[in-house]
Amino acid sequence: MNPVLQAHALGKRYGQRQALADCTLEVPPGRVVGLVGPNGAGKTTLLKIACGMLAPTTGRIEVLGEQPAAGPAQLARVGYVAQDTPTYASLSVADHLKLGAKLNPRWDAKLAQARIDQLGLEPKQKAGKLSGGQRAQLALTVAVAKRPGLLILDEPVASLDPLARRDFLRHLMESVAENDTSVILSSHLVSDLERVCDYLIVLVASRVQLAGETEDLLAEHYRIVCSRRQDTDLPPELDVIWSEHTGRQSTFIVRSQTGLPAGGWPAEHLDLEDLVLTYMERSAGRGRRTATRTTGDAR
Amino acid sequence: MIWLTWRQFRAQALAALAILAAAAIYFLITGLQMHHAYSADLAACTPHHDCSDVLSRFGQSYDGELNLAQLLVIAAPGLIGIFWGSPLIAREVETGTDQVAWNQSVTRTRWLAFKLAGVGIASIAAAAVLSYLLTWWAGPLDHINGSRFAAVTFSSRDIVPLAYAAFAFALGTTAGLLLRRTIPAMAVTVAVFAGIQILVPTLIRPNLLPSTTVTFPINKTTASRFTGVYTSDGGAEINIDLPVPQGAWVISAPPVEDSSDQVVAGYLHSDCLFPNTSGPPTKTGAPPVSQIAACLARYHLHQSVTYQPASRYWPLQWYETGIFLALAAALSGTSFWWIRRRRN
Repeated sequence: MNPVLQAHALGKRYGQRQALADCTLEVPPGRVVGLVGPNGAGKTTLLKIACGMLAPTTGRIEVLGEQPAAGPAQLARVGYVAQDTPTYASLSVADHLKLGAKLNPRWDAKLAQARIDQLGLEPKQKAGKLSGGQRAQLALTVAVAKRPGLLILDEPVASLDPLARRDFLRHLMESVAENDTSVILSSHLVSDLERVCDYLIVLVASRVQLAGETEDLLAEHYRIVCSRRQDTDLPPELDVIWSEHTGRQSTFIVRSQTGLPAGGWPAEHLDLEDLVLTYMERSAGRGRRTATRTTGDAR
Repeated sequence: MIWLTWRQFRAQALAALAILAAAAIYFLITGLQMHHAYSADLAACTPHHDCSDVLSRFGQSYDGELNLAQLLVIAAPGLIGIFWGSPLIAREVETGTDQVAWNQSVTRTRWLAFKLAGVGIASIAAAAVLSYLLTWWAGPLDHINGSRFAAVTFSSRDIVPLAYAAFAFALGTTAGLLLRRTIPAMAVTVAVFAGIQILVPTLIRPNLLPSTTVTFPINKTTASRFTGVYTSDGGAEINIDLPVPQGAWVISAPPVEDSSDQVVAGYLHSDCLFPNTSGPPTKTGAPPVSQIAACLARYHLHQSVTYQPASRYWPLQWYETGIFLALAAALSGTSFWWIRRRRN
């Protein structure tokens, strides 16, 4: 199966500011990809490049085998919901569906109508009068009813309250399951993605720090708490991602693709949130004072 | 795309239609009255072979309305640029809806093509209606005033307003695309459009086609053809009105010069200009034009005048229309290039 998104040495510069640097990625199809990173990490830039809103300064990118926004056919296969889920304030809910129907050859009117009914949105209501959650749902409806092969959502739940957030993600998962769509979903909160993502990309300070199947990533990382020792005293097959030393003991977070070598250390797996925070902290420089060996950019 | 273009433009289009309808009703009612009064006045004075006084009074009585109506037709393209052009793309960018529009299965080039064509044609049509109404309405007044080349008259009649509308709309749209914000784009549109309305009649229009320059030597033979003599600039210059063809556009009429092309000071010839007085030059009590000219004939002076003949009216209208349609096309081309190449 061809990757849904393939980026090579992708970079974007705004004047002096490097928003995205040296981004090399290959996202397999059929996944729900979580793109996590702190605010300003370059998530939006990466997603805008992926949907063709932005042109990269350097590098190459292919989405569903073509350059983003290469033509009507490519556009038809990618659904995009931008940050803050913009909609036309003066157009009604029904107008938005009509817009989708007029502008997209594969528009699924039944699906769109069913979703609007299910959400309880009043068709005559102007989009400008909808709540944040309803607006997000409307934007998602327009994107989903396009029947895209890849759905890109930029912080779709950022402005929603916890209930609306859960609702939105549930609807998203239902649509994805029904239509066999790949999804890339960004957030600065891991908790949003934890339940829905099976593939994870961690983007910090304009660089990709980690990318892989969530299951694999969770299985490959361990937290080791042991008597105080140097990073170099650990077996060489362990990649030390992060370490912390107190008077008597050392805590390591290590990555090993071959399992943990025997050594009788008390090791445990991390949950997704800890894993992501470790990478964020490391690249933010806070963990670096004690980390003597780092893995560099993720594979 | 046609549906979306119309749906987004609907409110503005209806507002414009209301304004156009109001203008049409005003022009029709006052215009019919005026045309009727004009024929009546003309019928009354023709038997006496002296219509000039009646007609000039008739023209003056409509001065206020004429100025307002011309202002409306000149301002309309600017308003179109501001309210239809500037927000066309800038508002989408401001509200983030460009991200909705450009991620449907329609390329942004196609999206822009429909927007520019749809609203652009509406702009030209609106200007066409206003221009047609004014050209009809002001017919008698233009006839009385003689010249159709006055800056405001030329810019508000026949076909040039259509080109101005296309230009202003493309200008507003392009400014909105480049600046990404509506208000600054509106400001740029106003500034450029106002600048153009001042520059074109003064610097560009007179030079679009080669003008005719006629030089009259001042002698006894030509003296009879002078229509007026007066001094200006405190007596430093002498100006003589020369007969130009009916309806011509006088572009420049420099003061009287001597045989070495130097401007002649009026006080040097006060014996001719003011034979009865020795005091400072005044216009009162001046002798007849022919007498002054005959007196001046001794000094080998000449007077010239540069003008566009009346027959240049339509060539100039077409030229100016062509220029501004070309500018509109160039601005639209810039927009297409920008929207394709520069994604930021």
